[in-house]
Amino acid sequence: MKMPHNVKQRKMFVGKAASPGYVIAKTKLIVRQRFTVSPFKIPKESAANQIEFFRRGVAQVKREILNLRDLTIQMAGREEAQIFDSHLMILQDPSLIDSVISLIRDEQWNASYAFHLFMQKLIENFENSKGIFKERALDLKDIYNRMLLHLNSGENNFVLQEEIEEEGVVLAGFSIGPNMLMNFNKGKVLGLAIDSGSATSHVSILARSMQIPAVLGLGNLSELINTGDLLILDGTNGIVIIDPDENDISKYKKQIEVFQNQKLELFTMRDLEPITMDGKYIRLSANIERYEEAGEITSFGATGVGLYRSEFLYFGRDSLPTRSEQAEAYRKVSHQLDPLPVTIRTLDAGGDKMLSSVNMESESNPFMGWRSIRLCLDRKDIFREQLKALIEAGDRGNLKVMFPMISSVSEIEKAKEIYNDCCTELKAEGIPIPKIELGAMIEIPSAVMIIEEIAKRVDFLSIGTNDLIQFTLAVDRSNGKIASMYEPHHPAILRSIKMVVDAAHKEGISVSVCGEMAADPLSTLLLLGLGVDEFSMVSWCIMECKKIIRSVNYDEARAISAEALKFSDTDSINNFLRKKYSQKIRNLGISSFVTTQEFSSSDRALVRVDGQIERVGS
Amino acid sequence: MISCKLTVQNSLGIHVRPAGHIVNIASSAHSTVELVYSGQRVNAKSILNLMMLVIEPGSEVEFIINGSDEKKIADELTELFNNKFYEDAS
Repeated sequence: MKMPHNVKQRKMFVGKAASPGYVIAKTKLIVRQRFTVSPFKIPKESAANQIEFFRRGVAQVKREILNLRDLTIQMAGREEAQIFDSHLMILQDPSLIDSVISLIRDEQWNASYAFHLFMQKLIENFENSKGIFKERALDLKDIYNRMLLHLNSGENNFVLQEEIEEEGVVLAGFSIGPNMLMNFNKGKVLGLAIDSGSATSHVSILARSMQIPAVLGLGNLSELINTGDLLILDGTNGIVIIDPDENDISKYKKQIEVFQNQKLELFTMRDLEPITMDGKYIRLSANIERYEEAGEITSFGATGVGLYRSEFLYFGRDSLPTRSEQAEAYRKVSHQLDPLPVTIRTLDAGGDKMLSSVNMESESNPFMGWRSIRLCLDRKDIFREQLKALIEAGDRGNLKVMFPMISSVSEIEKAKEIYNDCCTELKAEGIPIPKIELGAMIEIPSAVMIIEEIAKRVDFLSIGTNDLIQFTLAVDRSNGKIASMYEPHHPAILRSIKMVVDAAHKEGISVSVCGEMAADPLSTLLLLGLGVDEFSMVSWCIMECKKIIRSVNYDEARAISAEALKFSDTDSINNFLRKKYSQKIRNLGISSFVTTQEFSSSDRALVRVDGQIERVGS
Repeated sequence: MISCKLTVQNSLGIHVRPAGHIVNIASSAHSTVELVYSGQRVNAKSILNLMMLVIEPGSEVEFIINGSDEKKIADELTELFNNKFYEDAS
């Protein structure tokens, strides 16, 4: 099963960019993927529960694979992405599902062991066959690993064997906990290349605060790498190259130099005001998912939190978070950042974000289903607990609350009514009621059409571009066949944003943008010119964004965006924007523009996305 | 009911992707679609069943299709096999 270690072959992996920067260094393997599955017999009445648990695992892994397929299509082309269709088919295979369910129901095994039993037998069969079929065991192993990651959910414990003696290394492994990272001598760890996790994992937050480049979510990298292997780690673009060739090395050496200079320069940005050359102040805020992130955002120059995704308090648990638990989490952010404003979005669950603590039936069209504010207005018990926690946490006066997925005036009014009830009740309990601004997230086209009425009823507006684009264009980004139709610069999107900005300014309230669009340099300039007052993005993009904002003239940007609004198709808009801004962006030397596009097509054919060692084509 | 015998003409046999193509066609069918190979008869809507058979290049397999759209499905499978699962094009 293992790759022969004596063969040095350049291997490229794509994972999740978790902490920016570039490193060329030797690898130190800390832990290989190793799962311990504990078998136990479950009581009959728990079977339904375990089956549901298993099904949820399948649904989560399905989403992961869909995302990977999406990424692969962008990075390497449709052909290379086909393997993920096969993976999906295996994952959802009727004989797999039925067998595992019967092992749970009839033989009373726990879900993870039932799945393990079935898959081990299958993998064994394939490993004992010959030729190309033998290699197929790898596909099964990939699915096996992904599923167990969910079924075991964080029960993996690893023991660290040796300390680092080398000059400085990139740590590679299946997973690494924050404690483990802190155990290493400072300065010896130059980077992290980790199989599991994402940009919001604890270890990513830590890596960013320690300024160690990191790529997470690399699949089975740790199975294909050994201590001592030379590796390039590109934490800015989420790329890892094992045994790089001369070309890679010289390219990245240059990149490292540029990055070092930029970093110095960018950090001089940190304490500068986010103002345009002609003095227009633009608030630059951070998106966060956990309260632990609050500490790091100011070190990136954020002037507040523009989007705190409160649903992360609700994930991965079987009971709802209590009011006091929530209030504590919200307070940790609002107190730590006081007097900077902190905008918390109320529970945005449903769609692809299921909660185990709420009975959520599977829906045929979950993105248009029972989710977000709809769920909250139905389950007032949940909503009220959250609102009360927010009111309690708002005692410093810097908290703002926004309601997601607003599609009508009545939803705003209902939400505000419930909020006011909560205030009255808390007041009766003797709790002081702070001033909290209430806002609406604009991410549904119907809300855009009635934006003037909505703007009259709230204190601020926030545009969620990801959903607004998806719903306006009726394009599901995760569907590879139409992913290219997901066009942030579609004239309909530009005009929608313009309508929202105009309505808000007419009412004297502010508009922020908190989708991925906010972190793209060209889009930043476009949105700035459309009149957006605040951008909220992942924290490590803020300094770059500030650099862009400080380099332009606001009036000029207004004029360019006004011009862009006149075009009738996306291509013309993009060409126009590139003509106006490319030179400027190039002169600024914005780093997120490099590398991924620079790889030649033959290079891209070698891309082993997420550890797939599948060779496609030729 | 239709029985339809086809030869695996691609160079790698029925590995993951060809199996995927077969499952796609079989799953779109209202009919039952079964595959018989070296004495085993399996549901062709399951990719794992197909992969487990380890069907090598050059072998002959038999599909047994039963239902309202059996003719259409037989035609689609024949086309798939004749085109070598769209693999050996270049």
